[in-house]
Amino acid sequence: MKILIVGNGLAGTLAAKTLRELDPAAEIEILGEERFPYYPRPNLIEYLAGRLPYDRLFAFPDGWAERQSIQLRLGEKVVRILPADRKVETAAGAARSYDLLLLATGARAALPPIPGIDRRGVFVIRTLDDAHSLMEHLVRHKRVTILGGGLLGLEIARALRSREAEVDVIEFFDRLLPRQLDPDAAAILRSQIEAGGVTVRLGQVTKEIVGDPAVRGLRFESGDALAADTVVVAAGIRPEAGPAREAGLSVGRGLVIDDLMRTSAPGIFAAGDVVEHRGRIHGIIPAAFEQARAAALNMLGQDRPYGGTVASNTLKVAGLYVTSAGEIDAAGDQGYESLVRSDPAAGLYKKIVLQDGRLVGAIWMGTKKGASEIGRLVALRKNVEAVKKDLLADEFDFTEIA
Amino acid sequence: MDKYECTACGYIYDPAVGDPDNGIPPGTSFEALPDTWVCPQCGVAKDLFVKLD
Repeated sequence: MKILIVGNGLAGTLAAKTLRELDPAAEIEILGEERFPYYPRPNLIEYLAGRLPYDRLFAFPDGWAERQSIQLRLGEKVVRILPADRKVETAAGAARSYDLLLLATGARAALPPIPGIDRRGVFVIRTLDDAHSLMEHLVRHKRVTILGGGLLGLEIARALRSREAEVDVIEFFDRLLPRQLDPDAAAILRSQIEAGGVTVRLGQVTKEIVGDPAVRGLRFESGDALAADTVVVAAGIRPEAGPAREAGLSVGRGLVIDDLMRTSAPGIFAAGDVVEHRGRIHGIIPAAFEQARAAALNMLGQDRPYGGTVASNTLKVAGLYVTSAGEIDAAGDQGYESLVRSDPAAGLYKKIVLQDGRLVGAIWMGTKKGASEIGRLVALRKNVEAVKKDLLADEFDFTEIA
Repeated sequence: MDKYECTACGYIYDPAVGDPDNGIPPGTSFEALPDTWVCPQCGVAKDLFVKLD
């Protein structure tokens, strides 16, 4: 049996690894669009910040795929899928056949339709080539504006500060990390970020990136303007599902799969950032990881349904731990019961969100203590009615409700 | 010895278990892992781990 995997990011690579563990005999071939072997994308930020050397970007040692008897073909972009013939075609015109196909084509950086977004000096950070282009440009251009105050935007801001760039972060929402934080938590994060030397501008809608041909600055709907010679766009991702759509597979915002990771075409599975599952596009590593594993198992006929991934992320932004899981009840008007403990001076903010006594979400900021435990309790939708008043205390012992 | 969690994928490094598949015997502290060690689950670098307390 020949299994073909399109994409050598996390989902494609981990699916291949799992397939090999489960089936020593299967023929496994990976087609990667990038010229590089698998590297985890979070490493790009460390690399950009100068904290990680080039040779440590990559997850597996040289020759890993070969030793696993996985045929890895790099620099091969798939432009057409022919489900009836069970083959794909690459940009260079080569045909690759399969018995089972896994589409793990990932996502590209979203580019909002802002006039001037194609000017010289506008960058995204998605691939290693992107990171190299930005690093080369930064040598002579250090007035950076980052469009997007989400996770990636803030991580890039921090990385570029350590390259002595002057950094502004623009967010059109009225708070940072709008998907992870409520207004009070976001205000605490903002003051911590600004203490690190980054300027945060909220509620600003970018009207135009000016300069011809190279970027000189930005204009906003508010009438404000900002000088910049570098713009980094961190405005989310778009699933890379073009060839799948053209081949007639069901595509919504992402490539649609069922609980067994099957697309609408026989023998074609999908996993990772390209996927839309139960109407959701996750775009986070834990989801890609679970999907890759589920896809590998289901491709081999083991009936292993994937039920979705509860968003839970712990990250460190400006030296501050931020954990956000499930429903955060940002507006406070959805009928949830929310309990909060906050100490802005210490950068501390804890919130639990309950529905009929069950924990459906949490924000845990400024401390790592209890962060992974609370994330797990949210994933389990644990009933915490009896201990809800104590849960936010620093000394709370999570083994009580394990 | 402290456990460490991968911020990217959630894998937990437990010194009591080590990472035998990658040549790390049980009883190896996180600090003692070589700089070249990566998350055995998703492959991110050691810098992207945080201490669990």
